[in-house]
Amino acid sequence: MIEAEHLTKDYGSVVAVQDVSFDVGQGEIVGFLGPNGAGKTTTLRMLAGFLGATSGSVRIAGFDVARQSLEARARLGYMPEAAPLYPELRVREYLTFRAALKRVPRRERKSAVERSLEQAAVKDVAETPIGQLSKGYRQRVALADALVANPPLLILDEPTAGLDPNQIVEVRKLIRELGQSHTILLSTHILPEVEAVCDRALVIARGRLVAGGTLAELKARSKGREARLVVRGAPGALEAAAAQVSGVKQARASVLDRAAQTAELLLEMAEDAHPEETVERAVAALVAAGAGVRGVGPVRASLEEVFADLTRAPEQAPAGETKEPQA
Amino acid sequence: MSGFLAVYRREMLSLWVTPLAWVLLVVFLLLQGTIFYSIVVHFTSLADLAVETGPVEAYFGQESVFLLMTLLLVCPALTMRAFAEERRSGTIEALLTAPVTPGSVVLGKYLAVLSTYAAMWAPTVLYVVVLRKTGAVDWHTVGASYFGLFAIGAAYLALGTLMSAMAKSQLIALLLAIFVEFGLFVLGVGEYVFEPGLLRDVCAHISMGSQMEEMSRGIIDLRRIVFDASIATASLFVTTRVVDSWRWG
Repeated sequence: MIEAEHLTKDYGSVVAVQDVSFDVGQGEIVGFLGPNGAGKTTTLRMLAGFLGATSGSVRIAGFDVARQSLEARARLGYMPEAAPLYPELRVREYLTFRAALKRVPRRERKSAVERSLEQAAVKDVAETPIGQLSKGYRQRVALADALVANPPLLILDEPTAGLDPNQIVEVRKLIRELGQSHTILLSTHILPEVEAVCDRALVIARGRLVAGGTLAELKARSKGREARLVVRGAPGALEAAAAQVSGVKQARASVLDRAAQTAELLLEMAEDAHPEETVERAVAALVAAGAGVRGVGPVRASLEEVFADLTRAPEQAPAGETKEPQA
Repeated sequence: MSGFLAVYRREMLSLWVTPLAWVLLVVFLLLQGTIFYSIVVHFTSLADLAVETGPVEAYFGQESVFLLMTLLLVCPALTMRAFAEERRSGTIEALLTAPVTPGSVVLGKYLAVLSTYAAMWAPTVLYVVVLRKTGAVDWHTVGASYFGLFAIGAAYLALGTLMSAMAKSQLIALLLAIFVEFGLFVLGVGEYVFEPGLLRDVCAHISMGSQMEEMSRGIIDLRRIVFDASIATASLFVTTRVVDSWRWG
């Protein structure tokens, strides 16, 4: 449905997106994941034909966005970031305008507007001026706009940004439903969103695509697993005791509370070790060494860690490491 | 084509459901009413009634400077939101990612302000209808006068649309349009300032005042129409290119 090849957007002094290539197949729900400022919106704007790529090409349903622009745009519903709408129009007026703009034949316009009102659950505000709607409603009106011409492809830029938790749950549910009949590419900087909605994720950082794959594949990329413990004892002794345990690759302790003599102990597991069993052994070893184990955190191997690893700027990583022993 | 119609309808709706068009209409009609009333009062005070022209000709012709001044106020205000507002609020992104060409967007917006402009003039026909009771009215010269006003408006509004596409804020668009349109108007005044020669001829061709004076006497000079139409066409063409260029910003 989307074929992006070597997309680059160069703003002269800043390269916002560099050599991004990916495909989105028919019927997929793909999450476009990255921290703020990573180039998500720029990439989506290039896909939607709002921005021209400095180099590279995009094909939507087989149509080149630059050369067969109208055909490509007719096949996608794009929801821009922050859902810009005309405040003076009523919801139904706006959607009717958008339907006409998107070449929905005159006879089908009314039913298309009704369908999109229902799909996006905004029927109850159909006659309300958009300017009077809450952020959540406006977001859903923008979604109805993307749906009104019933395009096979939806590109949604941060569809849940600025919504309250209940609304987020609703919008995610809606996206999953739409995913049964549409191909969807949505951008987000929130990880649980990808886990909740998407089949596959593309991770972008600093304008480059750093990873892509199904969620299971992404999780598998996380080589090291780690656990955090709160332990009473001298940091040096704790590190020495934990490092002896088989399955622990590295142990680092940092003081939490000097008066209570507690420290946070970070255990990095060896790749071949069973993480939970290693934790069990480590706790036993620490207790045997005279330390008081006050808390044991779960073993982490979440997407979050992968995401952090992938998107962390390279120059920041060493700085983060030198900080910890000092703390 | 359906894109053009949709944009046109949306613009008309937005112009007339917000106070802008109504406020402009009220200000415009108040000014026109005052101008016309003063001219009529002036004519009734004339002792010699054997003058060549009547108040209607004076309103559209010799005294058209007042009328043109109100256009310099109203036209930039009508066009300022066209693109500037869409860019400020971000709606331009939704508009330009729909399957419409920049040309139909520009044309839709332009024709909407032009229709609004024509609608603002419509009530002034009543002035002439009222005066008809006091004497004969030459509807041909009246028709020519309105045609002249329409042509000037078409040029001013196209310039204003271009300025709105070039500015990101409505205020800047308004000021730019006033600057350009007032500049054009002042250049025309040069007709009365410069010595006879090339410069004066150029100014005479540009002069909106002379255009209205000719038209108020029923003279439709094709050169005037070509001039106005050229300004409108060139401005709209450049506007289309500007809109297209945002893709590369």
